[in-house]
Amino acid sequence: MQFFWDGLIGAAELLAEPDPLVLGAAWRSLWISTLAVCLAATIGIPVGSLLAQKKFVGRWAVVVLFRAGMSLPTVLIGLLCYGVFSRQGPLGGFDLLYTPWAIVIGEFCLALPIIVTWTHSAVSGLDPRVAETARTLGAGWLRRWRTSLSEARLAITLALLTAFARCIAELGIAMMVGGNIKHQTRTLTTATALETARGEFDRGVAMSLILLVLAVIVTVPIAWLGRQQQET
Amino acid sequence: MLQIRNLKVDKAGKTICRVDKLDIQRGERLAVIGANGCGKTTLLRVVGGLENEFSGLCQADVPLGDRVYVHQSPYLFRGTVLQNVTYGLAARGMSRRDQRSAAHRWLDELGVGHLAARQCATLSGGEQRRVALARALATEADLLLLDEPLADLDCEGMEFVWRAIAAVAGSTVVVSSPVPLVEEVLPATLRTYRLECG
Repeated sequence: MQFFWDGLIGAAELLAEPDPLVLGAAWRSLWISTLAVCLAATIGIPVGSLLAQKKFVGRWAVVVLFRAGMSLPTVLIGLLCYGVFSRQGPLGGFDLLYTPWAIVIGEFCLALPIIVTWTHSAVSGLDPRVAETARTLGAGWLRRWRTSLSEARLAITLALLTAFARCIAELGIAMMVGGNIKHQTRTLTTATALETARGEFDRGVAMSLILLVLAVIVTVPIAWLGRQQQET
Repeated sequence: MLQIRNLKVDKAGKTICRVDKLDIQRGERLAVIGANGCGKTTLLRVVGGLENEFSGLCQADVPLGDRVYVHQSPYLFRGTVLQNVTYGLAARGMSRRDQRSAAHRWLDELGVGHLAARQCATLSGGEQRRVALARALATEADLLLLDEPLADLDCEGMEFVWRAIAAVAGSTVVVSSPVPLVEEVLPATLRTYRLECG
C-alpha cells in the first residue's frame, strides 16, 4: 500500500510541475481520440441510420457484423492495422506505421462499430410516427433523415461519448501501430505502461490520474444524458 | 379529387376497413364517422399514402407531399411549439419570416398562440393536439386528413378547431370521429360519411 501512496505523492508533485512529456502524451491522446471519433461519426452516423431505415438483402448480417465489431479486442485491431500498414501490407507504401495517423485509423476502426450500432438502435427504436409525421408534412428524404437524427440525438451523443471513452483508454492499437515513440506516438496509455514497466511508478500514476480525469469528464455527460433520455 | 371504389384493408385475416364508394370533391369538408374499430384511421391512412396494403381503388389527384395526415395521437418533434409549426412550412420552401408569421397566425387561430415559445414536452394532451393541428393547417395542403381531431379537447378547444378548419379555405378537409359524439358538434357545412364495421 505504501508503494501506492508513494506513487500518488510523486504523481501530485509531477502534476504540480507539469512535465512536457506527460503533457505531450495527454495532448496526443486527446487529439488522436477526438479525430478518430469525428471521422467515425462522419461515416458511422449515416451508416447506422441508413441501416435502420432502408431495407435491403443482408441488412441484418451487416448489423450483426457491426455489433460483433464492438467487442473486438484492441490488440486484434492493432494487429490487423499493423498488417495493413507494414512494409509488406497493402498500405505499406504510405509509411503510416509508427505515426499518430496509424493510431487515428486504428481508433477509427474501434469507434466505428460502436457509433454504427448505437445509431442503428437509436433510430430504429424511434416512434414510427416520427417518420410518418415528417413525410406527411412534406419533408424530403434529407429533412426526414435530419429529423430522425434530431429525435435520436441524445442516444447518438451517448454513442459518441462512449466511443471517445473507449478510444482514449485503449492501449493495444496505440502500442502496436504507434510504437510508443517519445514525442511522436506516445499516448497516455502507452506512456503509463512504459513508466510502470520501468519502475517509474509515480509517473505511471500521474498519467493514470490524467486519464482518470479525462474519463470522468466524459463519463459525467454520459450519465447526465442517460438520465435525460430516461426522463423524456 | 378523391375517388374510392371497393376499398378493402385486411390485417391478420380480418377486414379492418371497407368502403364501397366514396367521392370527395375539391374544397369539401367531410366527416368520416363510425364506431371504434370500424376503420376510420385506416381509411385516412390509405388516403394519406401511409397504408399501402389494400385492395380496390383509391385515386387522388393530389401529390403525396400535399396530403397532410394528423395522427389520432399526434407526435410533436423535440423543440418548441414554433419550431414544430414551422416544420411543414420550411419543408415547402417558405422563407423564415413567412414561416414565423404563418405559424403565429395558425397558433392564434387554434387558441394556442401564447404557447409558441414553450417546449412541446411540457404541453398537456389537449394543447399538443391543437399544436399538431396548427402545424398541419399551417401548410394549407390540398388535402388535410385529421384523425379524431376533437379527442382530448374541451368545448372551447372544439370551437377553435372547427373555426380553424373553416379558415383553411383552399384545402379539402377530412376529419374522422366516433359516433355519436361528433354528430352533436358537427358544423352544418360538413358532409358526413358513415363507415360501417367489417
